[in-house]
Amino acid sequence: MPHATHPPSPGLQALIFCGPGLSLNTFTSTPSTLPKCLLPVANRPMLWYPLDWCHRMGIYDITLVTPPDAAPPLEAALRSHPSLTSLSGPRPEVLAPKGLEMTSGTAELLRLGEVQRVIKGDFVVLSCDFVSEVDGSRVLQQWMSLNPALAAASSSRRKGGLAIYYPTYGGEGISSKRDETDFIATAPLSKPNVMPPMGSLRQEVEEVVMVMPTDTLNDTLNENKQALPIRQTLLAKHGNVKIRTKHRDAHVYFLPLWVKDFVARNEKFDSISEDVLGWWAKAGWQHGLAEKLGLDEVLAGKRSTEDEAGNGRSVEEEEEVDATALSSTKSAPAPVRQPPQAFATRVGNSAAPPSRPKLAVPPLLAYMQPVSPAQPLIRRIDTAAQLAFISLHIARLQPSDPSPLAHEHKIHPSASIGQQSRISHEDCLIAESVTIGIRCNIKESVVGANCEIGSNVRLTKCVLMDGVVVGDGVQMVGCIVGKRARVEGTSTAGSKSGVAEVEGAAVKGKGKGKQKATAQSGGEDDNKTKLTECEIAPFFVVEAGTEAKGETMKAFDTEGELGGDGEEDVGDEDDEE
Amino acid sequence: MAEQGGTAEQSKTVEEPKVSAVELKKRAKADKQARRAAQKEQEGAPAEVPPATNGAHQEPSAQGQGVQQDQKGKAAQAKGQQQPKPSKQGGQDVRPERGGPSQPQSIPPRSKAAPAAPSKELPKRDNSVVELLSHLYPIQRRPNLAGVSKDVHPAVLALGLQISTYEICGSSARCVAMLLAFKEAIQAYTTPRDTSLPRHLVSHHLSPQIDCLRSCRPLAESMGNAIRWLKKLIVELDPDKPEHEAKDFICEEIDRFVHERITVTDQAIAASARNQIRTGSVVLTYAKSAIVEKTILQAHEQGTRFRLIVVDSRPLFEGKRLATSLMRAGLEVQYVPFSGLAHVVKDATLVLLGAHSMLSNGRLQSRVGTASIALQAHKADVPVIVCCESVKFSGKVALDSIVLNEIAPPEELLLSPIPEKSPIHPAGVATTAVTGKSAVTVTSAAISKDASEDDEPAKLKTLHEWSSISNLRLLNPMYDITPAEYIRMVICEYGSVPPSSVPVVHRLANEGM
Repeated sequence: MPHATHPPSPGLQALIFCGPGLSLNTFTSTPSTLPKCLLPVANRPMLWYPLDWCHRMGIYDITLVTPPDAAPPLEAALRSHPSLTSLSGPRPEVLAPKGLEMTSGTAELLRLGEVQRVIKGDFVVLSCDFVSEVDGSRVLQQWMSLNPALAAASSSRRKGGLAIYYPTYGGEGISSKRDETDFIATAPLSKPNVMPPMGSLRQEVEEVVMVMPTDTLNDTLNENKQALPIRQTLLAKHGNVKIRTKHRDAHVYFLPLWVKDFVARNEKFDSISEDVLGWWAKAGWQHGLAEKLGLDEVLAGKRSTEDEAGNGRSVEEEEEVDATALSSTKSAPAPVRQPPQAFATRVGNSAAPPSRPKLAVPPLLAYMQPVSPAQPLIRRIDTAAQLAFISLHIARLQPSDPSPLAHEHKIHPSASIGQQSRISHEDCLIAESVTIGIRCNIKESVVGANCEIGSNVRLTKCVLMDGVVVGDGVQMVGCIVGKRARVEGTSTAGSKSGVAEVEGAAVKGKGKGKQKATAQSGGEDDNKTKLTECEIAPFFVVEAGTEAKGETMKAFDTEGELGGDGEEDVGDEDDEE
Repeated sequence: MAEQGGTAEQSKTVEEPKVSAVELKKRAKADKQARRAAQKEQEGAPAEVPPATNGAHQEPSAQGQGVQQDQKGKAAQAKGQQQPKPSKQGGQDVRPERGGPSQPQSIPPRSKAAPAAPSKELPKRDNSVVELLSHLYPIQRRPNLAGVSKDVHPAVLALGLQISTYEICGSSARCVAMLLAFKEAIQAYTTPRDTSLPRHLVSHHLSPQIDCLRSCRPLAESMGNAIRWLKKLIVELDPDKPEHEAKDFICEEIDRFVHERITVTDQAIAASARNQIRTGSVVLTYAKSAIVEKTILQAHEQGTRFRLIVVDSRPLFEGKRLATSLMRAGLEVQYVPFSGLAHVVKDATLVLLGAHSMLSNGRLQSRVGTASIALQAHKADVPVIVCCESVKFSGKVALDSIVLNEIAPPEELLLSPIPEKSPIHPAGVATTAVTGKSAVTVTSAAISKDASEDDEPAKLKTLHEWSSISNLRLLNPMYDITPAEYIRMVICEYGSVPPSSVPVVHRLANEGM
């Protein structure tokens, strides 16, 4: 959707990490043809969502970071896919660093020379599976206004960061208990000077003091006899810490430029969410940690005279005039040379008095999305279940809805629908050039472009990606069908439809699937295909008469078969996109 | 329907003079339709008399021009009377229909309509604006990024946001921050072909930045002076100077300006003002001023033993910040709310005030409440000293706070965050009434009871719905004007001067630049 007015540039560049999508491996087993970021989500490539989100914020300097073998299809899609080409603004750059493996961690990725060279200013890191109805500029606005005063200067090394966390519960139809979660401890920010205006997210922004994925938390718990050790200094610095275990990192980080150096310095950082943010958050309160991580030198940067506000302002270094000290809504920080007074509980105990002025670590903020029934969507699509949830959620949006994700046409005008077919308009999404036979019944489903659906088909809660062929009389409930897959209907109908040549490439997966299918459907008197909660890989052909429930159907000869369940292996690839 | 007709008519009368005959005809038609609908409603549903009368009752008043103006409710409609006149010329067909049905009904409903009229008129008036000060309201405060010109530099944008959330507040802080952000913006500037930097930079690059800042909060006097200085500097540049040299030169000059006019000045003023604080003094100050803070800290570092009283008020509670920093520095601080002013002013031996601006008639424009402090101090015979950099001196003259002021969004006076469109529940009222110490809350509760008479009687309103309470206005001015008589001395970098010398200093400092 083109925007009437471009928002002003916030001076950020965006890095979108287009990873392999390990937990969606039913659909992404061959990244060279269909990388994760091009998987259709409600008939748009997944990549469309972060791109559009950035554009709405006014960020047009976008770099897609992807493994080399996924780069050609990505570039091709950027040139030709109608959804991606309809986005206004310049086309994003594709960066495929040579050293990038499919399994590289995100922080490792940031350390790569190619990526380091690309980052020229403050940047925002997104993952390609990020979907949000929350307007990015509202979040961005908080980041900008909560940065330390006068850190507006692009070269400033006092800027903080901002991450987004969303609740994995409370959303109707889109939250499931299996969602991955993060452990996050936050301290409240100081109260705003005045009541923030309506629609401001200020109330929900907090300062992160500890963050780790739930796996790491569980490991820590196991090591410590089910207890979570918390340092005294944390409590000394922050008296009011809130711990959340059901929020999840949206993998959107607004980061200042110095983080680039911070990551480059610390070779052991593997992922952004766990290591970079985790250590940064800790460095804010743990004595000596910031120095250990080299933060002092990173923050000092080229400018060595980072003045501490209040005492001893360097007169010759004129740039460092501190508006914070002048501002009437700020108070000068406690002078460091004074021994802690009775009131100064936040100064910490004097056991380890730092010889030099204590390093002011810029704050790491987090927008914690509140839980409310009508919460705008913020999600990551990294499991097949999420893919289906989000697709169906977007399908439920009406064109009149204010949501930025709503489609203009629920049923594309170019779709041809046979007689007596019933398609529930309010919760279905039919893409262009879809043909639907007669007497079909389609409810709560998303049908991708160029799908061919036979007659008497019943689809409920299904997601059909592009070019799927569904034979006559097929019944599917809760299925996700990959690109160009073919679900055959009754044998007579299958031959009648006469589109057998479409799936020429699809035959390779046929053998095993057929065995499975026929084993399942043994003793079935009716020859109808009935699939319930199945995932069908791209180009796969489901034989007529198959009856299956909760299965993943994919060709055997591709790798990753063992973890093929798609719903249970959500464990450890949090950051590996 | 009838009410809609009413609003439409009102707006029409405003733009009456410049409409064409075609439009008049259109209007006449629309009027007719509205009247017909009103008639139908009257006939069809007699229960709904009051709304229908509004439509019907214009006709008699139109006929008897100026005869029935004795009634109060008519006054507003008298304006509307001019309206049917042109319609007579425009569309002849309107005339005959009008008399028929309306005449018999005209008398009885009018008595009913008259008391109803004011309540109907009220919501039409902008409830969020206090009439007397309507000229002071900013055109539109932008609390978000949308709608800002895309030429705005990110640093300026961020600064604008910080200013509008009061993260950066105070005249000199805003001025310094603005200049530093402008430095960034200027460095990012490239001169287009066929023009030169001195001719193009100000009008095409700098003015969107200034507009952005202005939309976030009205500019302070010091910012205005600095902008004037900067524009003059740029315009007077040699057009043949290479671009990067010119930009570097401007940035150096900005640095010099900040250094000379604010940093060093502050030190000079503090050094001079600290001598006013003697051992045993009791210094009273209000809200927070960077210079006052510095003065007090310097006096403390000198070893002078004195006591400090910080008076503070809503909604910014800047005094808290001052009290905190002074307390941290080891001073003895007494923190008093504004309501305790009369009590503490007796103890004070000196009142130190910061300034938003010094006006040319010697009056002080400063945080709202300052005038009362000065008045009380004057009455108690306590000297009032203002510390103010010359960059804040202004050529403007104001006698009261009405002419020059800034109206902040009234929502900032609310005590608790605005609930997200939650239905009004009585518990909310209770909590506001209990926790709310301000007079406003209490009045709102009282008023809401009055207002509820014509609404549903059971519905209680909280202060959050102040804009829907018809007879309540919130006013949140930022500044007030202190008369020159109350000010004993103004300390600026040119020395300690009486308020009457302000125009001289202003001419010296800001006009000769």
